[in-house]
Amino acid sequence: MRIVIGEDSALFREGLSRLLTENGHDVIGTANSADELVDVVRAVDPDLTIIDVRMPPTMTDDGARAAVILRAESPARPILMLSQHIETRHVVGLVGTGGFGYLLKDRVLRVGDFLDAMRRVVDGGSALDPAIVAALVTPTRIDDPVAALSAREREVLALVAEGRSNSAIAAQLVLAERTVESHMRSIFQKLRIDEAPDTHRRVLAVLTQLRQ
Amino acid sequence: MLRRRRSVAAATVVFVAAAVVRAALAYGPASVGQPADWPITTALLLPALLLGWLVAVRAPASPIGPALALTATVPALVFAIEDWGTSARTSSPWPLASVVDKVSVGAWPWLFLGFVTLVLLFPDGLLPGRHWRWIWVAMPVSAALVNFVVSREDAARTETTPARAVLIVIALAAFLATLLASASSLVVRYRRGDQLTRQRLRWLMAAAVAVPILLGLSWLAIALGAPGTLAYTWFLIAMLVLVPGAITVAILRHDLFDIDRLLGATVSWLVTTLISAGVFAAVVTTAGGFFPDRVGVTTAAFVTALLLLPVYHWIHRTVGRLVDPDRTVALARIRDFVRRVRDGEAEPEQIEAVLRSALDDPGLRVLLHRPGSELEPPAGAIPLQTGDSVVGALVLGTTSARRVRRAREAVVEARLPIEVSRLQLELREALAEVRTSRARLMDEVTAERQRLERDLHDGAQQRLIAIGMRLRSVQYQLEPGVPAYRELDEVVETLEDTVAELRRIAHGVRPSRLDDGLAVALRQLVADSTLPVDLVVPELDVGESAATTVYFTVGEAIANALKHSRATRISISVGLTDQVLRAVVRDDGVGGAREGFGLTSLRDRVASVGGEFTVDSPPGSGTSITVEIPCAS
Repeated sequence: MRIVIGEDSALFREGLSRLLTENGHDVIGTANSADELVDVVRAVDPDLTIIDVRMPPTMTDDGARAAVILRAESPARPILMLSQHIETRHVVGLVGTGGFGYLLKDRVLRVGDFLDAMRRVVDGGSALDPAIVAALVTPTRIDDPVAALSAREREVLALVAEGRSNSAIAAQLVLAERTVESHMRSIFQKLRIDEAPDTHRRVLAVLTQLRQ
Repeated sequence: MLRRRRSVAAATVVFVAAAVVRAALAYGPASVGQPADWPITTALLLPALLLGWLVAVRAPASPIGPALALTATVPALVFAIEDWGTSARTSSPWPLASVVDKVSVGAWPWLFLGFVTLVLLFPDGLLPGRHWRWIWVAMPVSAALVNFVVSREDAARTETTPARAVLIVIALAAFLATLLASASSLVVRYRRGDQLTRQRLRWLMAAAVAVPILLGLSWLAIALGAPGTLAYTWFLIAMLVLVPGAITVAILRHDLFDIDRLLGATVSWLVTTLISAGVFAAVVTTAGGFFPDRVGVTTAAFVTALLLLPVYHWIHRTVGRLVDPDRTVALARIRDFVRRVRDGEAEPEQIEAVLRSALDDPGLRVLLHRPGSELEPPAGAIPLQTGDSVVGALVLGTTSARRVRRAREAVVEARLPIEVSRLQLELREALAEVRTSRARLMDEVTAERQRLERDLHDGAQQRLIAIGMRLRSVQYQLEPGVPAYRELDEVVETLEDTVAELRRIAHGVRPSRLDDGLAVALRQLVADSTLPVDLVVPELDVGESAATTVYFTVGEAIANALKHSRATRISISVGLTDQVLRAVVRDDGVGGAREGFGLTSLRDRVASVGGEFTVDSPPGSGTSITVEIPCAS
């Protein structure tokens, strides 16, 4: 796939480009600041844009802002955000949409998983870091429906949010697939969400609900 | 204006004329009286005339100047007439001397004309009211009446008939009534008068008090064998020098010195002396009946000495209240305030307000010397001293010599609260200094932490990951089966752990979660808890330092609860009210938390951002930790 990387650290940028190239992708553009990135993406229209949250000019969350801008221009554009640590402020609006991923930078070192995540995002799915999901599915108020979820249900929900199927979740948690399904039912019941066949849409619905 | 000066000038002309006539009588062929009489009497009269001029020049609108001149001129005329009459009994009588002699016998009431005028007009030059005009008219009428009946009686040289005796009594009574009525005008004025009037009247009182004292002294002199004229001279000194003098000062410089205290002290001294003398005499009289003389006298002295001090104090207080109620009240209020400060019922900072009301000076200000700054009191300020160092200044809103004196007294009384409030000021300033420097320090620390965290994330972590990626590239160039492949795999895993470790360290330096706001950071924090946590936190916009402090405190509190409390549930509520960020962490554990190292370091952390940290942990009923941090947003 054709990829643009927005990353200010040359070392990281080069390392990532090399890894991606070695794995058969084309890095067709790089940018080391948010403004530049927006221009580059507009110019080359890549299949996937990988963006570091912290970038110049302000070194706070310019990457996330750039992502929001790019998404506003083209809602289906696949974006994979990378961050040194968990910050959700500016990407909350994007988390509930398809074709969006948000991972900690170190996940890059697990090359296989990382390439999978890229693939899911480009296919319009989502790839969210468990740590980020955990941050998002934390109950905020006493009457928050999330508070009603059991620890196990939250784990399941987090894996669902990462874009995994029921069978994958069952494998991950060493459970029977049926058990996962019953967890899912329970989750939707507690979160007052009507069941729908499409897991992904359910997840988005869940996350959207959480962020309101 | 000029009319007043003209009348003083006219009085002066008359005075000089009378003095010339008397000089001619004294040193001419008639040689009336002693040679020393003329200079003495002239010297006695002259001050009143000079004071009349002084007042006429300095206070030209006031009729007091002419009244003073009159006080000197009328006696001069009376003395001249008396001398003229006296010449009839010498070898070279003046023309009409015998007639003048008859007239002069009853002329003495005229001596009082100047005084009555003075008393009626003093201090503002206006009569106390319309009806007082009659008194002023009655004075010369009754003086003339007395003069007439006395001179006629003297001229008759026969037995006094009852009818004439009655007439004399009536005339004298009328004259006396006029005098008393004039004197009573002073009382009326005093009761109606404002502060200035009262103060001026006190000068007159002080002079009036001198009259009986001098009279007493002259009696004493006579008793000791001085010539009889001496008594008359003393009396004249009081009447002709002291009273006009006091009146002049009252008109021109009523605040020359503390007349109230002087008057109070004099009166109380006089009354005390009289009482002591009375006690002494009474004891001598009663004891003399039982004991030999010396024992009686000794006893009397002893008893008098015993009584003297308490009596004096009591009289002094009473007289002070009567003569100068304002000062007594003011000082009493300040003393009362000092007592309340000492008892902790009043704040020493209120001293300014107390002084303002006690000294009746709304513009008064108390300036306190701040450490490390030069106190530059405005000119005329009263220095406030403790020991020999100046600690401040009292600036009066309205100044007069009297007010300054009063303020000086008040300052002495109020030394304690002034000093205490200065110390408190110093303490407050020092505290504020400490707070600002601590806040500066904390801001620096916070900035430093942010830099450090950024360096860790953007520097070391990135580089490690980049290295990891290169290692992966190398690894994938190898065959998956060779040992190096596996080894590289392990190395990269170690790198991953290192990065995670670095992230934890960076988080400890400054939780980057806070970038998303305190609420989000706290939610993530409690997500790690193994106990159920009820968290109530709205989206807050607070400063970095406050947010970091609350974040760490809550984290530490949760850790403590997990470790020690054996709690089953933790509830956390965070809110911002009235610019105070408040976080409460409660658990339902065993309580009895002690200030261990963890809590102490938390307390310091909270204090460093100017907040308060309280732990409420009664044994058996859970622990609640509260953090309150002021946020000036």
